[in-house]
Amino acid sequence: MSASHSLPDDNPIQNVDTLIRSFERFGYISDRALGTAVYLVVKLGKPLLIEGHAGLGKTEVAKVLAAMLGTRLIRLQCYEGLDISAAVYEWNYQKQLLAIKIQERSEKSVEEKENHVFSREFLLERPLLQSLLAEQAAPVLLIDEIDRADEAFEAYLLELLSEFQVSIPEMGTIKAVHKPYVILTSNRTRELSDALKRRCLYHWIDYPSAEKEMKIVAARRPHIEQELARQAVRFVQTLRRMDLRKAPGVAETLDWLEAAEALGKEKLDAPTVEQTLGCLSKSAEDEARIKAEGIERILSQAL
Amino acid sequence: MLEPNSVQAIERIVEFCRYTRAMGFTAGVTETLDSLQAIEALATDDPEILKAAIRAEICSSKEEWARFDALFEQFWSGRSAQSSDETSRDRHARSVKVNSLELHTRNPLFGGARPSEALVDEEGSAAGGATVLERIRKTDFSRIPQADQAVLEELAERLLKQMSLRLSRRLRVAEESGRVDLRRTIRKSIGCGGELLDLQYKVRKTQQARIVILLDVSGSMNLYSLFLVRFAHALQKHFKRADTFIFSTSLRQITEELRTRNLVDALASLSQTPTSWSAGTKIGESLGEYNRLCSRKPASRETVVLILSDGWDTGEPEKLAAELCALRRRVKKVVWLNPLLGLSDYRPLTKGMAAALPHVDVFAPAHSLESLLQLEKLLM
Repeated sequence: MSASHSLPDDNPIQNVDTLIRSFERFGYISDRALGTAVYLVVKLGKPLLIEGHAGLGKTEVAKVLAAMLGTRLIRLQCYEGLDISAAVYEWNYQKQLLAIKIQERSEKSVEEKENHVFSREFLLERPLLQSLLAEQAAPVLLIDEIDRADEAFEAYLLELLSEFQVSIPEMGTIKAVHKPYVILTSNRTRELSDALKRRCLYHWIDYPSAEKEMKIVAARRPHIEQELARQAVRFVQTLRRMDLRKAPGVAETLDWLEAAEALGKEKLDAPTVEQTLGCLSKSAEDEARIKAEGIERILSQAL
Repeated sequence: MLEPNSVQAIERIVEFCRYTRAMGFTAGVTETLDSLQAIEALATDDPEILKAAIRAEICSSKEEWARFDALFEQFWSGRSAQSSDETSRDRHARSVKVNSLELHTRNPLFGGARPSEALVDEEGSAAGGATVLERIRKTDFSRIPQADQAVLEELAERLLKQMSLRLSRRLRVAEESGRVDLRRTIRKSIGCGGELLDLQYKVRKTQQARIVILLDVSGSMNLYSLFLVRFAHALQKHFKRADTFIFSTSLRQITEELRTRNLVDALASLSQTPTSWSAGTKIGESLGEYNRLCSRKPASRETVVLILSDGWDTGEPEKLAAELCALRRRVKKVVWLNPLLGLSDYRPLTKGMAAALPHVDVFAPAHSLESLLQLEKLLM
């Protein structure tokens, strides 16, 4: 298995490098470490936990993986207070009540009526259950921002990730048709439980180097002028070295370039930057700090 | 670099995983086996990819991720013999520090070896035992005589435990019936042909308040810090959502240290950080660091922040006021606990304390066991 030939990539998951190239074709620039991790997700069926600051492409990995494999992406957005009824399943109560009423005078026994009312017809499938029941092929299950959910939910999730089955009291155990490929993301606002972390492969996404960021811009916004892109990337790289409350991520760089282009600019100058600063800086204090440093000065470093 | 399938290579990889464990990584035998499985699945001899695979299996946090490269280089460049020496040297150093911590707790902290004649003098009567405990509860930490120290520790342990049990129990009492539990109602109704005769209620689990403890461990707080760490430890044991930070010139989170180990180990591991303990104080800066840390989380308005500090600050009072104001906007309550309030003639006149006061919801003493126990009311 050599990494240097450019084989016809019918099978993007032949080895790590074909996977990386395939990702690139979908507009996602990844390094070999991430490529290896994703490759292992597909080969070993282990879940992958990606941690990192906001705007660095954690969620994108799952989207691109689904696109690459030609399979469904099922997304569970986590938040504080997320529970089983929102994440796994819930009964369609209104429909059940109606059905009970309709069955009122029928000849069926109570047990038969109960079985009818608690059948799949009346089951609202939420993302986690959907991922188990996908019929065609193994889907990609994205569990986004797991650090926002609480520990009780993590414990439930851990069980799900080990057994890939769900137990519904009225219906019994439901096993996965195809085991989904699972990607979890976290912004690291709290420590996840050891058990969960150890169940998953781990990857830390850091801010990209200037070179890598240029590649990302070229891949995702190919219509942007080289010179403009270069200026913007250098400016953002400088901002990241300042001690801002919220450093801009790659998503912010891309948004900013779009804004500059929409304003018809081919080069960056101080007034333009000041006008569009909201794309990069998301708090009043950060904006004040940047202005205190001097936009002109930062720009001239970037040229 | 190595033949992935040779026995020798497998042995080395296992050794490497054990090496990372010795260096403090949380990976265990399972992760070692997983690494071997991953390498097999990759079926390549590209060293970069093999390293990436092992890293993905072994690491489980950003800190481990950052350290991995160096450890990997060290190990595979043949210096593993040296590193095992290092481990035992580290262990030795750690044990030395534990001993010095014990000395520290026994002597300077509790003001030398004054005998406990005071006890005999004042409470000569038969009711000695209980009254002694009463008094120890009220005595300022900085003035506990040497001999009473052990009693105080035991008493603290017991009372703080009771307090935290009461707190956690009280907060779990359900609110009166609120929402209807549709699912259970429907089940009950099937037998009566769908008539909702019997409404079942959903009992709402009251969310525990979240507590954040910011403990000043600079020089002036020296006499109180270790006791206040105990207090933080007790709170953390029973509050599921409690975080503790220590600060002097900068901030450091110690939630995990306090949570996962018993108190002795926790204190030992904390004493290992040379810089933050017992240096000067920059309260404003430290609060600023906390605010920055917080800004990444969605604001939790159920949080109560406890600042344990005497307000002696070498930073700028304006900065302290500004950061405290920003903090207060984001949380439910800011409680400032000052050991100096235990002194009858204390007035918050220092610039730091005076600047902070208007931004604080509750200003209370924290100089004795008694005062700490009063906080139970605040934390409801």
